[in-house]
Amino acid sequence: MDGPERYRHIIPDFQGFQEIGCKPLGSSVRINTLKASRSCLLQRLQEKALDFRSFPWYPLGLRLKALKPGKLVEHLLGYFHVQEEVSMGPPLVLDPLPGEVVLDLCASPGSKTTQISQQMQNCGLVVANEPSLSRISALRANCERLGAVNVAITRYDGRRFPSLLFDRALVDVPCSGEGRARRDPGIWMRSSKRRSLDLQALQVGLLSRAVELTKPGGTIVYSTCTYAPEENEMVVEKVLDRARLEKISIPGLTSSPGLLAWEGRELDWELERCARYYPHQNDTGGFFVAKLQRE
Amino acid sequence: MSPSCKENEEVLSYSKRGEGGFRPLDRSSVASLWAERFGISEEAFQGYRFFGKAQSIWVCSDFPLPGLKFESVGMRMMSLKDRPWKPTTSALQIFGRHAKKNVVHLSEEEAGAFMAGSSLSLEADCQPGYVVVFYRGEVLGCGLYSRGTLISQIPKDRRVASCQG
Repeated sequence: MDGPERYRHIIPDFQGFQEIGCKPLGSSVRINTLKASRSCLLQRLQEKALDFRSFPWYPLGLRLKALKPGKLVEHLLGYFHVQEEVSMGPPLVLDPLPGEVVLDLCASPGSKTTQISQQMQNCGLVVANEPSLSRISALRANCERLGAVNVAITRYDGRRFPSLLFDRALVDVPCSGEGRARRDPGIWMRSSKRRSLDLQALQVGLLSRAVELTKPGGTIVYSTCTYAPEENEMVVEKVLDRARLEKISIPGLTSSPGLLAWEGRELDWELERCARYYPHQNDTGGFFVAKLQRE
Repeated sequence: MSPSCKENEEVLSYSKRGEGGFRPLDRSSVASLWAERFGISEEAFQGYRFFGKAQSIWVCSDFPLPGLKFESVGMRMMSLKDRPWKPTTSALQIFGRHAKKNVVHLSEEEAGAFMAGSSLSLEADCQPGYVVVFYRGEVLGCGLYSRGTLISQIPKDRRVASCQG
């Protein structure tokens, strides 16, 4: 256990970061436009006198004050999906278009998969890969409830996914999950530099394969919900000989640039184009996102 | 498969085997089952493809699938395991709004009980079997109707406590 202390010098306003870490995260949901329009869902929530507010940066995201949003009728009907606010960012950065063929290499439980499907208006194909059989049932259930019928699920080891060429790929890798600490404070007990280095080999393998599986000129988005540079910039750095980083900007969502140095080692200057989202910047969880273009 | 499922078997044996055991099915053979039970016209199924696997029919967007081994394609649409065949709640939430027969409209109180997974006593103008259950013009899902009783077929993990209906 190393705890957040090792990030004191890289996180701006570290005291603010620590303070918000003690406050639990509220519920947020994404409106599923495959089954309901935004105005239709908002009207229904108003009729139920529920307190909600749209994200300033994404009109389909809502902060919803309900004890259990997953127990509302609108959830059964598939009109919305319960999803952490900042985790709606990577699909926006990926920006898939209707008719494309998109790979979601680490898909379960399918929050981002179904958001991609909705961005594509159910046209084209999302290949959602999940190696764990036990996690596939949640992925399937979410796709079915949300009516995401352009999703096909595979169960390969992502590092050895069969050779194909995709227009875009999302690589939302397994990570130490430090950005989830407001939901699960025990995360800090389980995270450490050593654990991050253990995960790094898998993360590099997954991102490298995704780059190979993307068409030249195609987009790859790499994301984690952790602060550890070992799982973020130091993974992305490994593919910069095959892909070029693009600057990320989501208007209305404050971020910090990627790191250019860590523990005395200088990192590639391009890594500044990555985005780090800290909880106290937007009152969300924490996230890291990198957008790459295959060369 | 039991002998009573012969018709179902005919639908499933229609086309060649595809990747991961998903065999492409002809749209009209699937649509005819829905036309017969629910009066849904074939046009409602345009823009979709159909596959058979393990006594189920699956539906997905009309797009060519690459040569991968799939765990699922689109959503499971109906089960042919027993007779009569059974539509999934998810599929009814997409196609059920086109139904012209074997539909049940619930009151607010009934809808709450149905979504919580309860059985209801009600008289409906339906043939015994699976029905499309509506509330306020929206499809809630699949019910099983027989002689004055409607049994909720909403999957357990999607049931809603009636107090929050």
